[in-house]
Amino acid sequence: MPLLACRRVVFRLAAAAVVSGAALPALAADPAQLVQGTAQQVIDIVKTKTGADRQAAILQVLQTKFDLPAMGRFALGTHWNQATEDQRTRFLKAVAIAEARAYSERFGQYGGQTLTVGKVTPRANGVTIVDSRLNQTSGQPIKLEWEVRNDRITDVKVEGVSMVMTRRSDFNSYIQNHGGKVDALVQELETRAAR
Amino acid sequence: MAASIRRSVVALALCGGLVGGCASGDTGAAEVWDPIETPNRFIFSINRAVDIIALRPLAVMYRDFVPDRAQTSVRNALDNLGEPVTAINEVFQGDPSRAATTVARFLVNSTIGLAGLFDVATSFGLERTKEDGGKTIGMWAGVEPENGGFYLMLPLVGPSNARDSTGMMMDYLVDPFRILTFNLAGNNWDAWQAARYGANVVDYRSRTIFALDDLERNSVDYYAALRSAYTQNRADAIRQKREKTDTKSELERRENLSLVK
Repeated sequence: MPLLACRRVVFRLAAAAVVSGAALPALAADPAQLVQGTAQQVIDIVKTKTGADRQAAILQVLQTKFDLPAMGRFALGTHWNQATEDQRTRFLKAVAIAEARAYSERFGQYGGQTLTVGKVTPRANGVTIVDSRLNQTSGQPIKLEWEVRNDRITDVKVEGVSMVMTRRSDFNSYIQNHGGKVDALVQELETRAAR
Repeated sequence: MAASIRRSVVALALCGGLVGGCASGDTGAAEVWDPIETPNRFIFSINRAVDIIALRPLAVMYRDFVPDRAQTSVRNALDNLGEPVTAINEVFQGDPSRAATTVARFLVNSTIGLAGLFDVATSFGLERTKEDGGKTIGMWAGVEPENGGFYLMLPLVGPSNARDSTGMMMDYLVDPFRILTFNLAGNNWDAWQAARYGANVVDYRSRTIFALDDLERNSVDYYAALRSAYTQNRADAIRQKREKTDTKSELERRENLSLVK
């Protein structure tokens, strides 16, 4: 019986947490609004700008709404500690350019997509998960999950595939196949950024 | 009953899925267990060559020149042929009511839907699901869904792992349409099978052009990026299945509780 009572209390607490979570956003920046706002900004950019303009605008969104240093640090994994200060700065810069280019090329022309924000789940470690769906004009909607920490987006998961995790795997493998040197990766990323 | 199903599924999984006991921890997909990376990369390079020369161009032509309605109908018909395997997997996943819905879908679409060319069942409120043996094993195996045993690059099929390739073999063995063509079509049963699998491959490739092109362009090591993306995507699908059963069993538990009271 105490166990049952305990469970009931947990359920009640959980319910209370959900309610207060919904009421709180007036104080702190709302993760759902952050996601919705960012998506709207990107859609507007894709609608109005092309080429280098678009890439610059997307880079600006990435720098203001995303926590690029944290994402870069995680993507580099254990190699981050071995990298010199100079390598880290160069790496972060090259990754930012690479991401901006990837995003600006990914969408091509605006195809009428809209983003519907769903459930917002706060986690114990200060991370908030925002579920959303990217509705397309034809075909199934795409499942997008956003990770928000300290009012910045730290990861995007597309159909369960985390952008940062995939980069991490990608970068780690590249470094391993190039003698465990971070420099090889930084140079490769810089050559790609310069193209 | 559920326990015995669970045990037998796990026993089946043992022949492949659980051999990969290497725990990847919470870093999960960052370090996918890939003990045969060198042969995998070799198969991957052959697959890519075939893809660049033949499969991708074919898929692009299919996507761009075949009318959208025809593509939808092909998709529907292929999905309909896959429906029995989904239903069987749903039984093994411990969800007979969902399996019944899938069977109902199959019956409706095979008749009113003109051999599956039209997905009438969805408009009747019978939603489509797609299950496979890999998900079934992953659901019952007591490991992180990121851990699917060793990573495996299959010739022509592409990324897989011990769990998913075992599941694929199970699906192949129980597939009623394979058994049926084997018995009915006599000597050219393999031609029927080849036609079906070929159509499936082209259709699937045409729907992954965008995602795979993107992944290739934005990675420094395409093999590693694909390995990670595949593992994460499958893990996500399995995790969803597990969470769904957890909510369901939780509700059932509470319902039983109120009955006792």
